[in-house]
Amino acid sequence: MTDPVIVSVGSSPVGRSELTGRDLFSVALGEAFEDLPAPAEVVEALYVGNQSETYEHQIMQGTLMAEWAGLRNVPAERVEGCAAAGALALKHAVEDVRRGTHDAVLACGVEKMTAGGTGGATDALSAAFDRALEQRSGVTAPSQYALLAQRYLHEYEATEEDLARIAVKNHANAASNPRAQFQSAVDVDTVLGSDYVAPPLKLFDCAPVGDAAATVLVATPDVADDLRSSDDRVRVTGAGSAANNLSVAERNMTFPEGANVAAERAYDQAGIDPVDVDVAEVHDAFTICEALLAEAAGFAPRGRGVESALTPTERSAGWTDVRMSTSGGLKARGHPIGATGILQAIEAYEQLTGQAGDRQVDGADTALLMNEGGVADAVTVSHVVET
Amino acid sequence: MTPEELTPDSPFTLPGFFDALSDGRLVAAVCSCGEVLVPPRTACYACGGRDLELEDQPRTGEIYSYTEVRTAPPAFEDDAPYTVAVVELDSGARLLGRVDADYDAVAIGDDVELRVRDPTEAEREIALSHEQDWPIHVFETV
Repeated sequence: MTDPVIVSVGSSPVGRSELTGRDLFSVALGEAFEDLPAPAEVVEALYVGNQSETYEHQIMQGTLMAEWAGLRNVPAERVEGCAAAGALALKHAVEDVRRGTHDAVLACGVEKMTAGGTGGATDALSAAFDRALEQRSGVTAPSQYALLAQRYLHEYEATEEDLARIAVKNHANAASNPRAQFQSAVDVDTVLGSDYVAPPLKLFDCAPVGDAAATVLVATPDVADDLRSSDDRVRVTGAGSAANNLSVAERNMTFPEGANVAAERAYDQAGIDPVDVDVAEVHDAFTICEALLAEAAGFAPRGRGVESALTPTERSAGWTDVRMSTSGGLKARGHPIGATGILQAIEAYEQLTGQAGDRQVDGADTALLMNEGGVADAVTVSHVVET
Repeated sequence: MTPEELTPDSPFTLPGFFDALSDGRLVAAVCSCGEVLVPPRTACYACGGRDLELEDQPRTGEIYSYTEVRTAPPAFEDDAPYTVAVVELDSGARLLGRVDADYDAVAIGDDVELRVRDPTEAEREIALSHEQDWPIHVFETV
């Protein structure tokens, strides 16, 4: 079997930090290489997912993180795709190893998004919207997703309370994830009672702003054999990505077709079907996203994605038994933009190696990751991870 | 269309599109497959074709979805709260813009018309040099 494997993972805490991006990366690297030789003895190339240079006024993240990892004169580059940057970095690493270009590649994500306060983050994120018509209209990330939510609630038998239940589920999951930004559960009344940010979305429908870095080491099985026991690794068996239009207005607003294509490509490469997936980390930057992506991934029938928080027996016919956002998702584990895609891979690693503690899904052996950038499926990157 | 035709006067480019919009003309690129692209592009995202013609479009349409921006980007803080919407024009093209009406006064399906205005002083301050004279589009309920 020549599937690339994830050998080791590490992350910084997620949330507001006094540390800079490179410091957060050092923390993540420290965890990932705790029991391994130095990166310079293993890593042949490095990719860094990073949303925006405006936070720290710093580009050249590839060179910088390679330097901070003790790697000199290796191929190293930043990849950009707004919030999908992390999964793009992972995809590049996986493809390099699969093709035999390199035997071991470090996939990283880093974001210091609190650096400019709320205004700085709002501004930096709005750069992902079409400049000509959208940015100049003063639209924001929450309002873009509110446009999706408003239309979804209009077309389907779904309510704000359904969306609230997704937030409640993801907070509960985060409460048993030591990596999560939010460590406390919330109830439906708290979510429904929170202020509207952009109706119908309320504060508790939205992922928080936070800082973090995360990294995973992707390698050939042979390199992995030298580094770790075979119980402590997972295989990346499928990868797929798709770019749809930049403006969400020009896309299918009730079914993210780009996300569907990306997931199907990852399934095809892995040779699996949606029903085979036990756990899924999807891009729930807003609660509505989890509903939309449940449908795009083929887990739920159209219009019933909002049932993701229900137990498999409570869900409508046509739903799979998948458990979604076991990490707490972007919503509650946190969403440090460029690091998010890597954090999703870390959750898959922990679930599939039985290291997920109180949130462990028994018998989980197949995971789907869906990381989006821009508004919803402007770009989507999907991976299938298996034991 | 040849590369030489892609001048700032052509609505196939953004300067040309906004020039026309300043004059009250909403110009789209209409593809031979039927897709209507606003603003115009030289390739069609629906079929991949490059057989597109510029056509003036009706500026009327209806609200497809809408919300209210309560926490605005720093440059627009003084305007908040304001309503934004995705409007489906009569041509079938959809685009996002502000609605000149309170959130509570808007509903999906409401008829609207696209109007343009000059940028305000505040908007000019954050505009890039090539955007200084580009009008701002706004939907008015009708």
